[in-house]
Amino acid sequence: MEGQAKPTRRSKVTGLQDAARLARGALEERPELCLGGLFKQSRPVALVRALLAAGADGLHVYSSPGAGYDVDLMIAAGAVAQVFIPGVTLENRLCPNFRRAVEAGQVTAHALDALTVVGGLMASAHGVPFQPIDALRGSDVLKHNPLLHEIDCPFSGRRIHAVGPIRPRVTFLHAQEADRWGNLRHLSTMVYADQLMARASDMVIASVDRIVPDEVVLDDPSRVTVPSNYVDAVVEVPYGAHPTASFPNYAMDEEHIDAYADLGDAARTGDSTGLDAYITRHLTEPKNQSDYIEAVGGTGYFAVLEAEARNE
Amino acid sequence: MSAAVSPIEQMVVVLARDLADGELGAAGAAALVPMAAIALARELHAPNLTVGGEMFFNPEPGRLYPSMLDDRALGRCEAAETFIELFGHSHHGLDFFFHSGLQHDVYGNINLHHVGGTLHAPKMRGPGAANLSYCHTSSRYYICPTVHTARNFVETVDFITIPGHLSGPAAKRDAGLVNEGPRLVVTPRAVMEFDKTTLRMQLKSVHGGNTPEEVQRHTGFDLAIRGEVPQTRPPTEEELRVLRERIDISGALRA
Repeated sequence: MEGQAKPTRRSKVTGLQDAARLARGALEERPELCLGGLFKQSRPVALVRALLAAGADGLHVYSSPGAGYDVDLMIAAGAVAQVFIPGVTLENRLCPNFRRAVEAGQVTAHALDALTVVGGLMASAHGVPFQPIDALRGSDVLKHNPLLHEIDCPFSGRRIHAVGPIRPRVTFLHAQEADRWGNLRHLSTMVYADQLMARASDMVIASVDRIVPDEVVLDDPSRVTVPSNYVDAVVEVPYGAHPTASFPNYAMDEEHIDAYADLGDAARTGDSTGLDAYITRHLTEPKNQSDYIEAVGGTGYFAVLEAEARNE
Repeated sequence: MSAAVSPIEQMVVVLARDLADGELGAAGAAALVPMAAIALARELHAPNLTVGGEMFFNPEPGRLYPSMLDDRALGRCEAAETFIELFGHSHHGLDFFFHSGLQHDVYGNINLHHVGGTLHAPKMRGPGAANLSYCHTSSRYYICPTVHTARNFVETVDFITIPGHLSGPAAKRDAGLVNEGPRLVVTPRAVMEFDKTTLRMQLKSVHGGNTPEEVQRHTGFDLAIRGEVPQTRPPTEEELRVLRERIDISGALRA
């Protein structure tokens, strides 16, 4: 034998359950979880379901400034203590479990705004003690926002706001593609706050629609949205954002979300049998993503969402 | 143009007429009506109006969607930004923006947080709001809820999520709200404006098929009706044709 064998680079490709266990362990140290995407787009829902199945609780949930289905599901599963998200809504209707739990005093929903959340993530990503904000006036949110301080601007002397670093212990992202080293490629038009969260967090776990060969990344490096340096684990999960969208691959499943919200509203007004059955069917019973896909309606069902994403 | 003008189409036309060529603005959260208004203005009199400030520049939706916030509606656009740029846009401000909420009060303050109770012990918890900066760093904004009842137009909101004119000129000045704030309130029933001196909301015009008395009955505060209230100028042939043929191909504004 001449010379030494070339040392091998470690792949970050992980299984869904292993990723969930990794996240649960970290969140037991510090419960700050942050979710990528926005409202019904590119939400890491399969990772959220796996984390719930692994038994997380007492979570403090962050997100880009708008979230809906996934946070509501986490609340329905009893996993959330505090919500640090400015807007929580299904857009065409309110989030039923969020509403019920906050009205019952079971979950604390802080009054926040987008600049506070984005600014806190910026401070963390940039390694500075705070991010100044000079664009908030007149809202009652400012009286209740727990993350803001008023400070004197050292240059002008004016009173402005400052937000300290928001440092999620774990961030879940969903992107369309990654290589095995964890370089993420968002093929959707919007990348939301995903790049900022990746840089602001202790641990980043991403689900992707598919793992691509190394050459795909090397041939077009400017297309990488989150470099692997920021990513700890990557999981290939078919339809891993369902029932939210993963454009351009598949659209959001409005009917599924609407049916879920009907069950949530029934539970809110006293009949929780439907919601309990939903959680059993989608969360407790599926052992893996294939089981989940079958429970939702099978691959033929998802072909419709793929066609909708192509505007057909 | 056989079908009658829908109240939502009337709203879109009123808003479009107030947007000027060369301005920069964005649609906000409930984007269907604002996006249609922006598109109509760009088609008719404001070809240099730029849509920007919400992650995408000059989207070309092709048709309207109930929620305008997805790649099918926005994916065809001139450029895409991320939430990082929210800071720059927030501090510089836009020319115009749009808001609506669970409750709107006589000074144009908007509530999206809770109705009844307190923030942390609410009778009814609302969705909250994502961004709070554009309501006062922008030159002006429009309030355009798609329902108008005595329940969502109340004398005083339970929580000020989006400041309008607060409790009038002095409060507004004390809070550092230096821009115009809400200019018009456009609903399916009528158009409201704000008294120059008191900054209280008052009826400006009623859409065809409504009377001032009806609008007042569906409003939880005094609309300061004095004498004749004009009818809102209906859409012209051209406004309606462009709206239906080039913007709202799927008929979302008539649904």
